[in-house]
Parts: sequence; C-alpha cells; structure tokens
Amino acid sequence: MTMLRVRDMTVRFGGIVALDGVSLDLNRGEILGMIGPNGAGKTTLFNCISGVIRPDHGSVLFETNDLTYAPPHRRAQLGIARTFQNLQLWGSMTVQENLMVPMDALGRRNTFSDALYLPFSAYAERASSERARAILHVLDLGRYARTLAGDLPAGIQRRVEIARALAMRPKLLLLDEPAAGLDAQETAHLAELLHAVRERFHVSMLLVDHDMSLVMRVCDFVYVLDFGKLLARGRPAAIRNDPKVVAAYLGEESKKLTGDVMTVAAARKEEPPLLEVDRLAAGYGGLEVIRDVTLSVRPGEVVACIGANGAGKTTTLRAISGMIHPRAGHVVFAGRDVTGSPAERITKLGLVHIPEGRGLFPTISVEDTLRLVSNSAGHEVDIAPAFQLFPRLRERRRQLVGTLSGGEQQMVALARAILSEPRLVMIDEMSQGLAPTVVRQLFEIVRVFREQGIAVLLVEQFVESALDVADRAYVFEHGTIALSGPAVELRSDRTLVTGSYLGTAADASAIAAANGNGHHIDPALMEVMSVRVPAKVKRALEQRAENEGRPAGAVVVELLGKVDDQ
Amino acid sequence: MGAFAAYTIIGLGLGGIFSLAALGIVLIYRTTGVLNFAHGAMGMFSTFVAWQVFYGWSHPFWPTWLATLLAVLAGLIFAAVMGLFLEFAVFRWVRTREPVVKAVITIGVLLALQSAASLIWKNNQYHLPIYLAPQQATFQLAGVPIGANYIVIVIMALGLAFGLGAFLRYTSFGRSMRAVSDSPTSASLWGVPVNKVSAVSWMLGSLVAALAGILITPFINFDTTSLTLLIIDALAAALIGGLVSLPLTVLGGFLLGLLETYPTIWIQSLGFPRLVALLVIIAVLIMRNPRGFAVASK
Amino acid sequence: MTSRLMFRVLAALVAFTVLARIPVGFDVGFKFDSALAVIWAFGLLSLVLLTGYVGQISLCQATFAGVGAYATGLMVAGFHTDYLVAVGVGVAAAFTLGVIVGIPALRLRGITLAIVTLGIALVFDRYVFQDHAFEWFTGGTAGWRVDRATMFGLQMDSSKHLMSAYIVLLALFCVVALLMVNLHDSGAGRRLRAIRDSELSAATMGVNLTRYKLLAFGMSAAIAGLGGSFYPLVAGSVSPQPFWLFTSLQFAAIAVLMGVRYVPAAALGGVFMAVVPDVLTRFGHGTFMGHAYEISYDWFQIAVGVLLIVQLIALPDGVWGDLRARVRHARSAAGAIGGRKVKVA
Repeated sequence: MTMLRVRDMTVRFGGIVALDGVSLDLNRGEILGMIGPNGAGKTTLFNCISGVIRPDHGSVLFETNDLTYAPPHRRAQLGIARTFQNLQLWGSMTVQENLMVPMDALGRRNTFSDALYLPFSAYAERASSERARAILHVLDLGRYARTLAGDLPAGIQRRVEIARALAMRPKLLLLDEPAAGLDAQETAHLAELLHAVRERFHVSMLLVDHDMSLVMRVCDFVYVLDFGKLLARGRPAAIRNDPKVVAAYLGEESKKLTGDVMTVAAARKEEPPLLEVDRLAAGYGGLEVIRDVTLSVRPGEVVACIGANGAGKTTTLRAISGMIHPRAGHVVFAGRDVTGSPAERITKLGLVHIPEGRGLFPTISVEDTLRLVSNSAGHEVDIAPAFQLFPRLRERRRQLVGTLSGGEQQMVALARAILSEPRLVMIDEMSQGLAPTVVRQLFEIVRVFREQGIAVLLVEQFVESALDVADRAYVFEHGTIALSGPAVELRSDRTLVTGSYLGTAADASAIAAANGNGHHIDPALMEVMSVRVPAKVKRALEQRAENEGRPAGAVVVELLGKVDDQ
Repeated sequence: MGAFAAYTIIGLGLGGIFSLAALGIVLIYRTTGVLNFAHGAMGMFSTFVAWQVFYGWSHPFWPTWLATLLAVLAGLIFAAVMGLFLEFAVFRWVRTREPVVKAVITIGVLLALQSAASLIWKNNQYHLPIYLAPQQATFQLAGVPIGANYIVIVIMALGLAFGLGAFLRYTSFGRSMRAVSDSPTSASLWGVPVNKVSAVSWMLGSLVAALAGILITPFINFDTTSLTLLIIDALAAALIGGLVSLPLTVLGGFLLGLLETYPTIWIQSLGFPRLVALLVIIAVLIMRNPRGFAVASK
Repeated sequence: MTSRLMFRVLAALVAFTVLARIPVGFDVGFKFDSALAVIWAFGLLSLVLLTGYVGQISLCQATFAGVGAYATGLMVAGFHTDYLVAVGVGVAAAFTLGVIVGIPALRLRGITLAIVTLGIALVFDRYVFQDHAFEWFTGGTAGWRVDRATMFGLQMDSSKHLMSAYIVLLALFCVVALLMVNLHDSGAGRRLRAIRDSELSAATMGVNLTRYKLLAFGMSAAIAGLGGSFYPLVAGSVSPQPFWLFTSLQFAAIAVLMGVRYVPAAALGGVFMAVVPDVLTRFGHGTFMGHAYEISYDWFQIAVGVLLIVQLIALPDGVWGDLRARVRHARSAAGAIGGRKVKVA
C-alpha cells in the first residue's frame, strides 16, 4: 500500500525551475531510490518531502496526512526521519545522547521536572538510555556509546546518523546521499547495513545518491530525474539499460565533435610533467572525499577526468588550485611544490582554474572582468584577442556577467583563461547545463588551447565529448582513480567506463549471486553485455562459466580484474 | 509647511551621517566578511583626535580654517592608520572564521576603544564642535533658515557616495575590490590580492567613519559614548541596502534620517529615534527572510 | 546518576559556605562589590544558558536585569510590597520580555540576531529607561529609591543589611547554578544543546524549535532578571547606568572570555567583573619611578576588550573551556579511536 504520495511537486528558485511537476509513490516496506545528474532536482524534491523547503505547488501525502507545509518536527512526529549528506550530528554530545534526543523529543518530557531530577524524569532517562544502547548494538556501534560524536571518523558517523534516525522509530527513513565520501568497501558495507535495517526495524526508505553501485544493490525501485522532471522509473536493472538514462548521464552520441580525432601531440612527450599530483587526499569538514589520487599532465596535453558525480573530480581540482587545503599528498607544478599554497600564488605561476559555476563575478561587466586579468598580471593586457575569439562577447561587453546566459558566461571564463597566458588550464564541467550546440563550440576552444601549447585538465561528466578531445583520461570512482589510459583505448571499450557510472558488472553479479542460482545467467547482466560485447565473446564466456561451474558474473569480474592490472 | 521643510532638511542632514557610516560598514562587510560593531567607536576615536588637534593643540594665533584643516587631516590620517592596524593585527588572522565570531571580535574592539577614549578624554560632555562651514552662515530655503553645516553634510554624503562608486567602477583597484566583494574565493583564483584589498577596505571604512563623526559634531552632545551608539542607526541603514548595495545603503541612510526626524515634530524625546531605528531593522530583516527553513540569514 | 547529583549538591554547599564567609570583616564597599559580583554573575549565567547551551547570541542581557530591577523597585517603592513578592514580579517581567525578544530570534540567527538584540539593548537604555513616557515604570530621572524593604517580615535597610542581601543572593545563585548544571545533562538540556549544534537536524528529529527557543530566551531573561531584582536592595536605588548597553556588551565579552558554555565560568566572570575594578581602585595607584600612576576601571575594560580579541583568535572555547578540553582530550587520547579521525562541528 502507498505510504508516501508526492504529486506535481514544483519548486522555483528565482527564475530557475528546480522541480517541474514531479510525482512519486512509495510503498510500505520498499526501498526507493532517486537518481539523476547534477542539478536534476533530486535534493530539492528530497527537501520538500522532509520539510526543509516549501514547494510552490504540489502536495505531499504521508499515509493519510497532508504534510505539504508541515514543519519538520511535525513530520518527525508522524514517523519520518532523515539523515543528512553533510552529517548533521550533534558533535558536542556523546553518541548515546545523540540517539536519546529524538526519542525524548517525541515522548512526553517536561523541562522543569528534568532540571529537578524528579523521579519520572529519572525513570524516563533510564528507559531511553537502554533503548539507545539496544539500537547501537544492532548497528555494531555499542563501543562508541560514550564517545563524543564529533570525535568519530566519517564512516562511523554515517552509521550513527542512521542509528539516530532509527531511534525515532520511524516508518519512513529518508537518506540523503549516505554514500558520500565513502570508498568502495564502505559503500558495500552500507548496502548490507541498509538491508539489515529494513529487516530488523521494518522501515521503508527513500534514498538519494549519486553512487550507482549503492542504488542498484539496495533499491527495489528507482526514479530518475533530469532538469527537474521525471525522466524514467522502474526496477534498477531496467533503469540501467534505459537509453534515455544512459544519455542523461553519459551524454549523447550527438555531442560528438566533427572532424578527426587528434592523436597525442607526440613532440612533447619527452618533457617532464607540468603538473604532478601524488597521493592527494582532501575533503570538507568531516568528510574525506578524495584519497590517494595520483595523476600527471604533460605540457601541451589534454587530459580528461571522468567519473560519476561525487567521485571526487571537482574536489581534486580544488585541492590542486589551492581552493581547499589538501590533507595529504603533494602537488608539484612546473617544478615547484605548491601543496597547500594560497590560490593567488598558484594562479600567478600559470595554473588557471575555471571552477564549477565558472568562478565569475555577477555584478561586474564583461569588459571589466577581462580587464581584471591585467590586475593579476601586473601589466596591461590587451583584451581585444578575447573578442576576436568570441565575437558574441563583443556585443555584450558592457553587460553584467550575472545577466549573461550560461554559454556566454563560459565564454568569458575561457576568454580570461586565454588572456592570462597560462601553462595549464583546469576546467570543471564546462558543459554543465548547456545546450549541445553550445557545448560543441566550447569544446572547439579546447583545441585552441592545444594549438597555443597550453595544457588542459578537463573534468567532464559527459564522457563522449571528453574522450573525443582528450589525449589521456583518468576515471574517478569513490574518491580515487580507478582507471586510466589513453583516450583511444577507453573510447573503444565502453564497459570500462559505463560501469563506473551505472554500476559495474560486479554489482550485477552480486545480485546474481544473491539470486543463488549458479548456472543461470542473470538476464540483466547479459542485457548489459549484449549491447557492448560481440556475440562470440558472450558465448565464450557462457561456455567458460559452464566448464568451471561458476556463475558467469564471477567470470566477468575476474576478467575485468585482469584488465585493470594491465 | 516651513516647519516641515526645515525638518526635512534636518532629517536629510542626519541621514547623510547615517549614509556615511553605513557605507563604511557595508564596504568592510562585503570585502572582509566582518560586520563591524565598532564602527561608531572607531569614528568617535578619530573625531576626538581631530578635536584634540583643534581645541587642544592648535596655536591660538592660527586662523580657524588652518586649524580646522589640520584637525581634519589629523583625524583622517589617524583613522587610516587605525584601519590598517586592525586589518594587520586582528582580522587577517580570522579570515576563515564564521561571521558571528568576527563580529564578536569587533565587540572587543569596541570595548577597548571606548575605554581608551574614556581614559584619555574622560567622561565629559563637550560641546565644542568642528565646523566645516562658517558657523553663522545660513541659507534660506522656502523661508526657513538652514545652517550651512547641514548643507555641507548632505553634499559630503552624496559626494562621497558618488566618489566611492566611481572609484569602484572605473579604477583598476576598484575592480579588484568589486571582485573580492562578489566572491573572495573566485577572486583569489583570479590572482587578485585579497589581503591588499582587505587592508584598503578597512582603511576606507575607517576614513568614512571618521568623516561622519567629524561632520556631526555641531549637532550633538559630543562625548565618548554617543557616537559609539550611532552604530545602531548605521546598521539599520546598511540593512536597508541589504548589506550589499552601496546606492541602496545611501538611500537607506537618508530614509532613516527622515524617519527619525519627522516624529520629533510631535514627540519630544531623546531616545525615541533609536526605537525607530530598531523597528526599521526588525521590519527589514523580517521582510528579507520570508519562506522556508533553509533560507539562511547572513 | 544520583551520585553525580549528590556530588554537585555537595559542591554547591561547599562553595556556598566558603564564599559566604569572604566579605566578613571587610568594609561596606567590599560587601557592596561582593553582592554586585553575584548580581553580575546572574547575568553571565543567563548567557551561559542562552548562548552556551542553546547557541543563541544575545547582546541585551543587562537589559533583562534592568527590567527586573525596575519592576522590583516599582513594587517596593510604589506599592510597598514585600521584597520577595517584588522579586517575583521582577523575574516575571524579565521572563515576559525575554519571550518577546525570542520571537524575532525564531527567524534570525548569528549576526542578524546580534544586531536585533543590540538594538533592543540600546532602545531600552536610551529610551525606555530614560524617557519620561515610562516614568511610571522607572520612577522618573531619579529612579526608585529603596531605603526600607521588608523581606520575610524583617526590615531591610540597604546599608546595614548588605551582608544578608549577599547571603541570599549567593544562596539563590548556587541553587540556580545547580539547576542549570542538572538541566545540561537532562533530556531538555540535550534538546537545547541539539539546537545549538545543528538546528536543522534538531528540527527534523522532532525538537519543537519554537517552544525551546522561546523557553530558552524566557528562562535566560528570568535568570538575569533575578539578579537584577536584588539590585535595588543592594544599591538602594535604581538608575539606568548599570544596565546600559555597555554592560550587556561586557557580559558578552566576559562570558566568551571565560567560556560561555560552562557554569563555573559564569561565577568566575562575576567575580572578575565586580571585584577586580574594586581591587584596582584600592591598590592600583601609587608611584613608579617617580611618576604617579593610576590604574582605573577604564584600563580594566581595555584589557577585557584586548583579551577578548586575543582569545577569539587563539582560544575559541574560553579559558575554562580550554582547560576542560585539555583534560578531556588527555583522557580520551588514552583510548583513542583509530582510522580517519575527523571533526564535526
């Protein structure tokens, strides 16, 4: 039966429509997943359901209650609990106290009797402590009961968040990116944990995350959002193969550039690397997002960083350019160790970073923005070449940057990059939110960089475009680099890359293995493979699986492992 | 009608002071993230320095205009130095902390400055003002005599607002300041020297506060506390501008000046204008924080 | 649990017995300062609750104390009630104002809340406490004069019964401090602290923000008001000056300096605020190398300001908090947790 019913949810922020008439049903006992590319509206929808945001239109019905405008604590009283992506634990209290707060808040406790330690309060305290300890025990957190929540490592804090939500005895648990900052192993544990929680506590769950391996393993049903609208919904296996979904995440074939693919500029291969990153680790607040990241960029090269959202690509760029401080590892640029140096200094050395969101100034005009380059260069820089490269900007030179379209803003950012005559430009999600034609134009600019001998480190969610213009690529997964190699190779064998976005065959094999049937080959797995793998290879695999008496999935995993090693 | 016009001019004059003070606050806040509760106290101290030069140290044979000039210069130079000192000694080290912490630090500055002033100049009430225009000069406006000093204030306030605006708009350093105030992180990515910009902001802010203090001396009981307390009116004006827009801040200052002056036609009370300021603050804040839990206040 | 409670009660009793004896044998001035120290300590205690436990910043605590003082003065000098009844009225008045001030606080946080409370302090300081429109409340420019008061049926004359006033104040302070420390560890205290650590998750975990924030403001104001209510008895009259804006700012500064989360810090701060200036006046002058010098109250306040700045830059948790943290981390390092140790909040 339907526990949660969301109808026609619409939210507008200023001029942007974050959510456009999205409807959602969650049944009792179900684990529902919500996925979608960056900016698709998942978090907005999630926030509407949990009461953090009020929608402009639409309704939220929980069992028989209309919760559309109810304050958060009212939803808690009705049995909706939630966790937070950035871990909103109460750091100054112990783990046990953290659990007791929601328990008490929903019981009947009186402030004055508490202060005076009246017998009723003492009794209630003991009852709460015991219940809290019981929950901690189930989640294997018993030994942390008396530790301050703020002193725990991130993986443990995640579990405490979940334990705290369970302390409310909720009917519905909302999980906001629970896998954020976790590595592959921790994510697998999390998946097991969520299943166990459902069994032991009889809670239904709604899960939002970028991590496809988690979503595929854990969810019964998946909703996919894109640009604020519902794109697709269905069982995880079906979703993974839905061409619309694949296109939304990986980019369409049509985004391919015209013209020949350029090969590596062989001439500069012998030069020492311009940028060397060695075992970099960094994160925000309590979360460590990247660990053990090692990459390099040679002069004049174009290198792409691809991988699912939340994999750590943006954080890596930020740690390199000085926007955030690395926690471990080294960054060496043009022979100088710039680990932890302030961003201003690194920029002056010739490393330009165009961040996500473009890093522009909304109230400054195009012209003035370009003139800013002179400020940091220390001498007057002629801005005319920028207008030659981007004639569109010449018409808009006096317009404030904040009023330009996304594509035009990106042009301004790129123009500035060119004018400052850098040695390396790092571009983060150049194509985000832009129409395909504009994207095509912008990627042409990357060629201009190459012609001028400027190296480029490109972070892109859209694999096709990135691989078309790059010499080499690194594939990010779970905060570290899972795969790397020449773009040519990665382009020809799509399974390697697709897997990191939409769940690997290893996940599918885990599902298959869980199905218990040794020789029966999971149809979903074969579906994936048949699209990408020649029939001959498929049959060979089946044969081998038969011979060895193992599930085909296990054979695939082994083979993929061998590819990695190479 | 004549009374009304007179009150309007007075209100505009008062509003000019508020605008000046508020401009300094917004400038500092935008570029450094510090909401300077000590702004009034800083202005007060610089004004006292000017006062000291004018009444305490100038030679009796010097013409008034010379003494005034020297006094004002002394006050402004002191203000600039004080602003720089605060940036280098204090606020540089707390750039990454949250705004509340930085604001509480300014409370410490306020207390220190206040007591230092009290120590040096005692708690007397002075009424020995610094006139920028000849004391007796008046203009006739709609049959009402207006003191020249009021006109001076209004002109100064407008002039400074325009001057600051032009500086920000047309000069290279002004561009850097605008970049930092839009987004300090992006600015550092562009190689803009954020430290230098902060230092200049503090200097300018302090200068503007000093100017406001000097200009208001003819119109108030001049002691070590009353100027400090103007902070609440300056904050109200700054909030009308959303702590963001300089033109709106100036407008807000003049508006507040009028709002505080008109009621005195009916209500003779020294403290009532402060109530007006508070109500304005509350009204503005509530209007800007309409819906939703997630809308964060500054 | 109960053993901890007993320990606290014991500690409170010991503290009371020790502190009660201190002013004996000193002159009237020192007794006055001791009583004042406790009154100010109430103000600091109110900040420990509001800012330390619940995380709401407030720059108008002295205003609440002032309201308590004036209401009490009104009751005694205007209506000739028993002093304790008057104190009750004073506390109630302060509580009410606290709840009213709490209403904007529901929507505002951090700096904007600070600005609003600053405005309130200023308005009361310059307008309500001084304007003749409020004379019915303030007793005019001279304020209420309380020469005779009855408490428990006994006559209390301010100058002769300073010691008794001090004892009563001290006893009340110990009781309230004890209640606060208990509150900290109780269920309600946890909910308040949850609001401080993360308002967002407190709300989603079922804590009724409106109720608890208003309660916090009200209780905090009541505590400050309780201290203020004894001011007329101790000083013999009420005037606006002790409750002006700068006192509120000093409360904030000293509370943060000492450690705004800890009750003992409030006690320490009270002593700091009342006794040190007295010591300075008595002993802070003389000659040094042939020059006469005088360390006045102003120097003290400069020191407070500078210390606050230095401390916020270097020691965010205050003197007491820093000590406590060092002790706790030394203990927990012994059983440290491995893996990636990260900090939240």
